[in-house]
Amino acid sequence: MDRETRDMLLETAGRFFTERSSKDVVNGVEKGVWPADLWKEIEEMGLPLIAVPEAQEGVGGTLADLLALLRVAGEHAVPVPLAETTLANLLVAASGGKPASGPSTLALGGSDLSLQGNRLSGKVTRVPFASVADRFVSVVNAGGKPTLVVVARDEASVEETPSHAGEPYGTVVFDNTPVEFSAASAVSADRALELAALMRTMQMAGAADKVLVTAVEYCKQRVQFGRPISNFQAIQHMLAELASCVAATIASAESASRDADEGGLADGGSFSIAAAKTQCSDFAHRIAALSHQSMGAMGFTHEHILHHYTRRLWVWRRDFGSEAFWGEKIGQAFAKAGRDAMWPALTESKYAA
Amino acid sequence: MSIPKLEFPPFHLPAEAEALRGEVRAFLKETLPGIQTEDRFASWNTPSPEFSRALGAKGWLGITWPKQYGGAERTFLDRYVVTEELLGNSAPAGSHWVADRQSGPLLLKFGSEQQRQAILPRITRGECYFSIGMSEPDSGSDLASVRTRAEPVPGGFRVNGTKVWTSGAHRNHYCITLVRTSGQHGDRHKGLSQLLVDLKTPGVTIRPIINLAGRHDWNEVTFSDAFIPEDCLIGNEGDGWLQVTSELAFERSGPERFMQNVYVLRELIRVLGRQPAKRASAIVGRLIARLWTLRQMSTAVAGMMQGGQSPAIEASLVKDLGTIYEQDLPEIARTLAESDATTEDDLADFLDIAQYATMMAPSYTIQGGTTQVLRGIVARGLGLR
Repeated sequence: MDRETRDMLLETAGRFFTERSSKDVVNGVEKGVWPADLWKEIEEMGLPLIAVPEAQEGVGGTLADLLALLRVAGEHAVPVPLAETTLANLLVAASGGKPASGPSTLALGGSDLSLQGNRLSGKVTRVPFASVADRFVSVVNAGGKPTLVVVARDEASVEETPSHAGEPYGTVVFDNTPVEFSAASAVSADRALELAALMRTMQMAGAADKVLVTAVEYCKQRVQFGRPISNFQAIQHMLAELASCVAATIASAESASRDADEGGLADGGSFSIAAAKTQCSDFAHRIAALSHQSMGAMGFTHEHILHHYTRRLWVWRRDFGSEAFWGEKIGQAFAKAGRDAMWPALTESKYAA
Repeated sequence: MSIPKLEFPPFHLPAEAEALRGEVRAFLKETLPGIQTEDRFASWNTPSPEFSRALGAKGWLGITWPKQYGGAERTFLDRYVVTEELLGNSAPAGSHWVADRQSGPLLLKFGSEQQRQAILPRITRGECYFSIGMSEPDSGSDLASVRTRAEPVPGGFRVNGTKVWTSGAHRNHYCITLVRTSGQHGDRHKGLSQLLVDLKTPGVTIRPIINLAGRHDWNEVTFSDAFIPEDCLIGNEGDGWLQVTSELAFERSGPERFMQNVYVLRELIRVLGRQPAKRASAIVGRLIARLWTLRQMSTAVAGMMQGGQSPAIEASLVKDLGTIYEQDLPEIARTLAESDATTEDDLADFLDIAQYATMMAPSYTIQGGTTQVLRGIVARGLGLR
C-alpha cells in the first residue's frame, strides 16, 4: 500500500489499540480471559489479512506494511496473536492456501517435526497463544522439500505453559496428527523462523518505544525532594541511556524490516534479521533495567502498566531464537569466512562468505 | 505523548556512493601495504602525510567542497563512504582527518574568500593539516568558559593564554583557536571569536602532553603576546560560539565514533579460528550485530543530514552508543580470547593488541563531547531539562 494509506491505517490501528487493548484487557488475558471482542474487531478491520494479496481476498499490503503494523501492536501490548496470525496468513497465502478466519499461531523451531503422508508428528515448545489459537501453522521438511502444514488446534495436544508475560504459551505435541492443509511452502523452515524472529523485533521496537515514553512521562511528574525527579541529573542521564538503547532497538528492527521487504519473501534480509534479533534481544535487559530503576517501586507493581512491556521484552527476546541463537549463527559464518571478509560483509548487510 | 519520536529511517547509500566504495577499496588495497606508520593498526588518529597526499591526489579530500577550492562537489554521502572505508581498512588518516572533517567545512561556511583560497586547495591536496584549539586547562566540557584572550591591537590581535589536548599541534600547520575578543570571563557565549592560527607564529609554544599509553598526540599550546593578523579572524568577531557549535556537529556524527578500534574485532575473528565453539560464536555474533546496528543508525543520520535535517539528538545517541561499544570491545574480546584462542602464539599476540586497545579506550568517551555532555543533550531533547 502507498505511504499515505499505510500511515492512515497505522494511525487508525494505534487509536483502536489505545482504546480497546486497555490495561484491563491485557491483565485479563493474564488471568485466562480471552478478549473475544477485541479479536472480533481486529478481524473486522481486516488486520490479520494485511499482507494477503487482494486476489486471495486480503488487504494486499506488503511484508513491510505487516511489520509496521506489528510495531504499533507492540506499542500497545496487544494481548492476542495478531503478529502470529498475520504472518501465518501470509505464509499460507504465499503457498497457495486460503487463510481461514480466527486466530492462528506459528509452531516453529521444533527440530523433530516430521510429516508422513497427511500426518504430522513431533513436539514444539513455547508456542505463543497455543491454547487459544484455532490452528497451528508450520513449515516442515518432507522428503527434502519444505512443506507448509496447517493443523487444527483440537487435533493436537497442548500443554499450557504461560509465558512470563502471562500470555497463553504452550507445548504442542503432534502425534500422527492429521493436517487440514498442506502445500509446497513458499519459504523454507529456516526462513519461516527468520520471519517470525523479524516479526518479534518489530513488536520489541514498539514495546521499547512505549517503555521510554512511559518512563520519561513518569519522571516528569513524580515529585521528590520538592521537585520533579526529571530535574535530577542522575535521572536525566539514565533516561538518555535508555533512549540510546531504545533507538538501537528501533533502528535495527526497521533496517531488518526494510531489507526483508526489499529482498523478497524467500530470503530477503537474512543477515539483517539475525543481527536485529540479536541486537533487540541483547538490549532488552538494559531497557528493562533502566526504565524500572527510573520508576522505582511504582513501576515494579502489577498495578502499573510498565510490566506489560518489560515482561514482553523479556519473553520476546527468547521467542524464535534469542541473541545466543542468532548471534551464534552470525559468529559462525563470520569465523568461517575469516577476518578480511568481515568489513565487506557488514557494508552489504550480508553474512560473511 | 509529548516526547519526540526517535526515528532512524533506514537509508540506502546511493549507487554512486557504492560505486565510489569500490574505487576506494581498490586504491587502499594497492596503497596501504607501502605505507609505514607508527601504529600496528592505523586509524583516524594515525598520521601519515604520505597517505594523505595520495588520497588527495585521488580527489577524495574536501570531496564535497566547490571545485574552485579544489573540491569535487560530490555529496555528503560520498564522503561518508570514503570515511568508513578508511576506518574499515585501518588506513592512517590522522594527518588530514580534522582538516577534512571540520576545519575546511568551517572555513567554507564562515571564512573569508582570502582564507578559503589560501587554505582549502591545500587541504584537498593532502598537504595542510589542522588542530582544534578549543579546550583549556580550566575549560573542558564547559567550553564557554575559555580564558585565552585576543586583545585587538593595530592590524590584528595580541593573544595570551593556553590551549590543551591539542592533538597533532606539533606536526600540523594551523590551529583554529577559540578566544575571547571582548567582554569578561563570566560573559559566557558572548564575546568569543575564532582565529586561524599559523602554528609557526612567534609567541606560540608547543609542548607535548604524553598520554597514558605513552603516545604523543596531545600538546599544550601556549600563546605569549602572539600577534595574529586581523585577516586571520574567522567569520565575525563575537560569533565564535555559534561557529564552534556548528563545528562540533561535524565532529559527532561520523563512523569514527564506533570504528576506531574495529581492528580488535577483526583480529579476534582471526585468533578464534574458523570453527569457534558455540559460546564464542555467539559472543562474536553479538559484537557484529551491535556494530551493524551502529552503522545502520549512522547511515540513517547521514541520510537525514543529506536531506537537509539537523539530527543533533540522533547524532549524540550514535556517539554515545558507539563510543561505549568501542570501550566494551577490547574487554569482551580479551576475555573471550583467553578462553577460546586456537593457539598459544595467537593468544599472546592478541592479548598485546587488546591491551593496547584497552589503554586507549578511556579516551573514546571523553573526546569530542563526553558521554555526560551527550546525555545532557539527549535529556534536553527528551524535554527533561
